[in-house]
Amino acid sequence: MTTDLHTLLAPYSLDALEPPENTRFEAHLEQCPACQAELAGFQATATRLGDAVALTPPATMRSRVLTEIARTPQERPVVTAIAQRRSLRSAVPRMAAAAAFLVGTIGVGGYAIERDNAHEADARSTTITSVLAAPDAATTSKTFSTGGNVRLVASPAQDSAVIVANDLARLKGHKVYQVWMINGAGPKSQGTFTSSGTMIMHGAGGADSVAITVEPEGGSKQPTTAPIVTIAI
Amino acid sequence: MGANAAHLKLASSSTAGPTVDLGDLLVRTGRGDESAFAAVYDALSSSVYGMARRVIRDPSRAEEVSQEVFIQVWKTAARFDAQRGSAKSWVLTMAHRRAVDAVRHDQAASNRDRKYTSSNGPDFNEVEESVTLSLEHEQVRRCLAGLTDLQREAVLLAYYQGYTYAEVAEALNVNPATIKTRIRDGIVRLRDCMGIEA
Ligand SMILES: [Zn+2]
Repeated sequence: MTTDLHTLLAPYSLDALEPPENTRFEAHLEQCPACQAELAGFQATATRLGDAVALTPPATMRSRVLTEIARTPQERPVVTAIAQRRSLRSAVPRMAAAAAFLVGTIGVGGYAIERDNAHEADARSTTITSVLAAPDAATTSKTFSTGGNVRLVASPAQDSAVIVANDLARLKGHKVYQVWMINGAGPKSQGTFTSSGTMIMHGAGGADSVAITVEPEGGSKQPTTAPIVTIAI
Repeated sequence: MGANAAHLKLASSSTAGPTVDLGDLLVRTGRGDESAFAAVYDALSSSVYGMARRVIRDPSRAEEVSQEVFIQVWKTAARFDAQRGSAKSWVLTMAHRRAVDAVRHDQAASNRDRKYTSSNGPDFNEVEESVTLSLEHEQVRRCLAGLTDLQREAVLLAYYQGYTYAEVAEALNVNPATIKTRIRDGIVRLRDCMGIEA
């Protein structure tokens, strides 16, 4: 079946696509500037339709929500700055090797996630660079039969690790991949991604392993499924 | 009545120049500010709950889904990007998706056929009784009236009933490709009528 994917934007903005078509369209949207440009206006229009049927919720809902969020961890912003403790200069050859390994076939641009703005991308690559530059950086790679791979560079000396996921199979039903760092105290969420992503982890020095599980959109407080991959640090 | 009065104040302030920037509140929420989150909740809970109630119908299920939406807002607020749309649009888009998922999931689970009836559009009398009437509501009614019957039916079935466009085609006995086009024409016309920037 060949469909002009642009024509799916309007039904998509009303959540009116069947799941397989929705997945295909979202992949199209990622790389179609025309659809991206039009989406916000369509969503704003749909929002007015929602607004037109506003109804005051039961008063008890407010306290339930506020109680719940007070004990719910938030998704970590993916970008976090860490101090660059090493001179990069002396480590350039090693760093280049690690960077080549980490980025694999996707090129240097693979560091930056598409939606990041330039500033975030800079902060991100500075941070990644300092991990890659560490003399004790150890690298691991796992490839999935369903497509895609995960690469991990960990530096105990830097107490940090960088994990890069490339093109993992997209999940159905608004599920995401969630990354966990596991130490004696149990798993600690590092953030979520849908198919590709780069995550910087701190406290990796005391960690035993890094694992990825499939979780509902927004992530879970604790893993709710068996890991699809576990990498020892 | 306190809650209603508060909502009316917010509804009118959105047209008379914002006193609180929801986008700022959402950004603060993303940094873990619980009072900013409470303000986001107060500004948007009626919109989220009313929409969920319309799509899902069952009041307790709509409440459950609305709660999940706000918890998701809390968890993922750091992802909000003001350059890609308003805070209200971000939350309502997330909420509509969840409501539609819930209705599809529940219907698949109960194996119940959805029957199209003529009472699928928004019941504006009910809205007026709920004291959350705002200027935008009048505008929505006027703009909907400016669509062709097929455009209007298609948009309303999709948005308020959670129908896929294929289901809309089935319900209205029209070719799916035609429905896709009518939904697009309908949304473009609504967008322009509402004065939303293309
Ligand atoms: Zn397109």
